[in-house]
Amino acid sequence: MNGACIRKIEVCLPRKVLDNVELESIYEGWSAEKIEKKTGIRSRHVAGAHETAVDLAYGAAKRLLDSLESRERNSVDFLLLCTQSPDYYLPPGSCMLQDRLGLPHSTGALDYNLGCSGFIYGLAMARGLIRSGTASSVLLITSETYTRHIHAMDRSNRTIFGDAAAATLVCASESDCILEFALGTDGSGYQNLIVPAGGLRKRYNPMAGTAEDPPGSLRTENDLYMNGPEVFNFTIEAVPEVIRQCMEKNRSALDQMDYVIFHQANKYMLNHLRKKMDIPEEKYYMHMLDVGNTVSATIPIALKDSLERGLVRPGNQVLLVGFGVGYSWGATVVKIKD
Amino acid sequence: MKKTEFYDLLMDTLEIESVDAVDESTDLTDLEEYDSLAVLSLIAMIDEHFSKRIPGTDFQKITTVQSLMDMIGAGSFES
Repeated sequence: MNGACIRKIEVCLPRKVLDNVELESIYEGWSAEKIEKKTGIRSRHVAGAHETAVDLAYGAAKRLLDSLESRERNSVDFLLLCTQSPDYYLPPGSCMLQDRLGLPHSTGALDYNLGCSGFIYGLAMARGLIRSGTASSVLLITSETYTRHIHAMDRSNRTIFGDAAAATLVCASESDCILEFALGTDGSGYQNLIVPAGGLRKRYNPMAGTAEDPPGSLRTENDLYMNGPEVFNFTIEAVPEVIRQCMEKNRSALDQMDYVIFHQANKYMLNHLRKKMDIPEEKYYMHMLDVGNTVSATIPIALKDSLERGLVRPGNQVLLVGFGVGYSWGATVVKIKD
Repeated sequence: MKKTEFYDLLMDTLEIESVDAVDESTDLTDLEEYDSLAVLSLIAMIDEHFSKRIPGTDFQKITTVQSLMDMIGAGSFES
């Protein structure tokens, strides 16, 4: 067995929902209808006060493991957790999950810190671990509670982001269904998507003052800051190029792809990138209506939804592209198993 | 691009309904449609029609339609 395949995806969304009607009541001059029209988002799930990324990760992983035959469940020997809203600085959430999920002590586990490119990097690592013989079955979990990083009066970010976890099982297989990757990094943009305080460079500041940026949205240095225009500019540069590289590595072409799933950032970015790359609408996933931007969980949520709705069928080649905080980005092609 | 074409394009891009028309003296920041999402649609429009990228911080300096046209570059417009 020399290849790796995506075997199954399960999702866990927090029970609590923040809908546009509630946003309308908080922010003066907003209408629920207008928010949906502009953003393509009607509601998003938000973690409760005591609900963490590890809790959501557990929910998604438990559902996935419970759905497997015992032989397959017992073959899971590696756990990857991607999160930027960790329960603790240390220990790693993946270690807590090994115990909570009842996985054997022979399981390898590690956390990694990436945002919207996290699922692509996770697939790259899972495939590498499997192809090198280090692991045979990798449970890749991408879990975020970004809403906990957002100031209550930051209406821009509260509108866009939602919380979610996705668990993806990547297994060894005869043929490779996860094809070649193109990855990229440009750390010069690190300040454009950041939680400035709370780490060790700048400790959490309980006395932090509030700033208004962009107009109408409040935040302190303890909260998530996104320079939307700068991040959009980066995306316009990075996405076409990483797709070109990915197609070259796979000796394929964009019009050979049966379906395309980008990280579901926001409607404007997705619409523009589709037009710019000349991707037909019917081959392009765009659906954030009831989840919003769930960071590293958007791609697996979209892939699962596409499979369930028959937008993607066995034998299809699907291009996946993630991009965001870091800046960090990546693309790969997955073949849907027959 | 003709300036009048650009004004129509702006009306369309920003989905402006609060005023009937814009020209170079219109202050965008006075329009209720001009919010943080509007800036994203401007970036998309400028990339599509002018193949240009304007640094994010420069968007904060935009006031009138004229200031936006200056940022895109006077050479891109004909009267």
